[in-house]
Amino acid sequence: MASALLDRRLLAITGKGGTGKSTITAALALAASRRGKKVLVCEVVANERVANLFGKPASGTEIRLLLPNLYSVHVRPREAMREYALMILKYETLYKLAFENAAARYFLSAAPSLAEIVMLGKVWWHATQEEERGKPRWDLVILDAPATGHGLTFLTVPEVFLQLVQDGPLARDMRDMQSLLGNPDTCRTCIVTLPEEMPANEAIELHKALKAHSLPQGPLFLNGCFEPRFTPQERVAVARGGPALAAAGEAADNHEARADLSSLYASVLGKSVDLPLIKIPFLFDRVFNAQAIEKVAGIIEGAL
Amino acid sequence: MSRPNLAEILDGRKVVCCVGSGGVGKTTTAAAIALQFAVDGKRVLVLTIDPARRLANSLGLESLGNRETRIDPKLFAAAGLQPKGEMWAMMLDLKLTWDELVTKQSASRAQAEDILKNRIYQTLSTAMAGSLEYMAMEKVYEVASSGRFDAVVLDTPPTSNALDFLHAADRILGVLDNNAMRIILGPMLKASKVGFRLLAVPSSLVLKTLSRFTGAEFLKDLAAFMLAFEGMFEGFKDRAARVNKLMRSPEAAFVLVTSPTPLTIQEALFFHGALKADGVPTSAVIVNRVQRDPRRLGGPDNPAALREALQLAGLKDENELAQRLGKTLTEQATLADLDRREIARLEGTLKATPLFTVPRLRKDVHDLTGLWQIDNCLFAGGE
Ligand SMILES: Nc1ncnc2c1ncn2[C@@H]1O[C@H](COP(=O)(O)OP(=O)(O)OP(=O)(O)O)[C@@H](O)[C@H]1O
Ligand SMILES: Nc1ncnc2c1ncn2[C@@H]1O[C@H](COP(=O)(O)OP(=O)(O)OP(=O)(O)O)[C@@H](O)[C@H]1O
Ligand SMILES: [Mg+2]
Ligand SMILES: [Mg+2]
Repeated sequence: MASALLDRRLLAITGKGGTGKSTITAALALAASRRGKKVLVCEVVANERVANLFGKPASGTEIRLLLPNLYSVHVRPREAMREYALMILKYETLYKLAFENAAARYFLSAAPSLAEIVMLGKVWWHATQEEERGKPRWDLVILDAPATGHGLTFLTVPEVFLQLVQDGPLARDMRDMQSLLGNPDTCRTCIVTLPEEMPANEAIELHKALKAHSLPQGPLFLNGCFEPRFTPQERVAVARGGPALAAAGEAADNHEARADLSSLYASVLGKSVDLPLIKIPFLFDRVFNAQAIEKVAGIIEGAL
Repeated sequence: MSRPNLAEILDGRKVVCCVGSGGVGKTTTAAAIALQFAVDGKRVLVLTIDPARRLANSLGLESLGNRETRIDPKLFAAAGLQPKGEMWAMMLDLKLTWDELVTKQSASRAQAEDILKNRIYQTLSTAMAGSLEYMAMEKVYEVASSGRFDAVVLDTPPTSNALDFLHAADRILGVLDNNAMRIILGPMLKASKVGFRLLAVPSSLVLKTLSRFTGAEFLKDLAAFMLAFEGMFEGFKDRAARVNKLMRSPEAAFVLVTSPTPLTIQEALFFHGALKADGVPTSAVIVNRVQRDPRRLGGPDNPAALREALQLAGLKDENELAQRLGKTLTEQATLADLDRREIARLEGTLKATPLFTVPRLRKDVHDLTGLWQIDNCLFAGGE
């Protein structure tokens, strides 16, 4: 199941804030592009990050080439709203009349998840866009989705919308979007988490919620893992080794404490989540750049 | 380095708000500050949002119901503490806080019920961005002005954008603003002697166009919501203004919590700037989970010298133990260097704002003993 992960049309990456969603997004994109796939990364949170990880300036709302076969774009609510509204309304004047006035601003801020609707709509449009008949423009679109709570809102927006509205152009698109997101052959949502209490618990909750909403999931990424390096006997011996070994002893204890957490949460997650688990080691790179992403991509390629 | 101490900075404050990015330790810090206050003799309430389950359990907190719960004195004794004051805790329930507020501010039961069952209200009170931040402030205001506690320590939700937090009330009130809604929904509302009544269909071109995006049903809900809120808006605005005033008074302190990673430091600086621009000074910055540098203990750190040290201690260098120890030391020294560099950057930019650091403890902080360890770093001026 995991082996075909990169053969999907759309991957959505979510998880608690700061767990490594953008890192995993970038690494998956790199891995896919190296297999000769044409990949587009869509970022939807306020601060664009992926282009920077590859040492490139932020892409902004224009699609930019980062590496051979690898592109990124920043999807922002205001621009997405405008593009989307224009697509449906066809007329600039009508758009201006309806959307660009103070009253409409209030209205739009009260409409639940309109921003999410148009942003997800934009991502969906990229994922289904065709260069010519039957030939998709992108082999793979990777969505660096918002963190947990908001991420779930984001991905379930078509479902929620369709409960309120059943007809009209938007409802039609939402239905298409929902069937794309819900089809395990075309789309997978992947959770990224850390070997710590809160991120691990959130990952478990999120896994259940995604399941409840019938969103097919890819492997779970456990990021920042430590492998055991010292036996208990070694640690006792070093601790008794006097002041010359004090620093080394503390470092070894710290290391093992984190290795313990890594194996604890790997087993907790293994028990509560029925998905393959991909462990990404903690990297000690002084700058987290293309080289670090390269390493993560290598590990993912090995695991897939 | 001489620096003001945190106890002095927080002395006499009625409200302490712990703010910062997601996962940096806001909940932990808020609880630790409250514990110190209680130990020092205050009757303090910590208002927490979504604490780690183990912390909540170990403090004996119930998860629902907005209930103020006193931390059992027996728990303090078990942790070797003898507080002169009392520590209370409460987990904020977003929906309940909204419902209580609406019920209190409504002119009648019927009005309250109309609002509570409206779909727009249900989104507003559970899912709308800024809603949790707004209600947290609202609850703090209620508790602070009740006089039941000497101090309230507020934990805040993981707000990625500082402005979301500061302008939560304005933003939510913007949605409630009847005048603005009246402009757009005007054609759907018919003024009558008793007030406004609801007409069924949107008529203007603008409304028709917008309703193609959201469905006409939404417009009806919105208009109904607006009708139900009729007359209540002023009360809300009034309260929000008072909350704002309290937060900007010397009775309130903002403590900015961050971790030492470049991205969160960046966000902390942004947060600090946004608070300042809003006329809210940051009272203290706490850098949490800083890697302790093992090299501070001295001794050799390269494999060759470690091999010698092992020999001197009568230990065998089996399975390249010296090599592994050297690697581990170097890795952690790298992390400590990175943290130091980021803290220096933060200090250089903040200048006048006092900064405190808390080391990364080996275990999660999930009980009073762990919190007290944090207090020892924050309040006793040392690690
Ligand atoms: N395997 C790893 N080893 C060490 N550091 C890592 C690893 N993965 C990610 N990081 C670091 O952790 C931080 C957070 O990573 P990243 O930005 O990918 O997370 P995110 O989930 O996208 O965060 P946000 O919720 O803010 O968007 C970054 O500073 C990154 O360099
Ligand atoms: N100094 C520390 N050493 C070790 N672990 C810590 C330290 N401070 C906090 N933690 C742990 O880090 C985790 C996150 O802390 P906490 O819940 O306080 O963060 P938060 O900022 O409130 O997170 P959120 O934004 O998700 O609400 C908890 O499991 C806590 O026990
Ligand atoms: Mg990110
Ligand atoms: Mg918290």
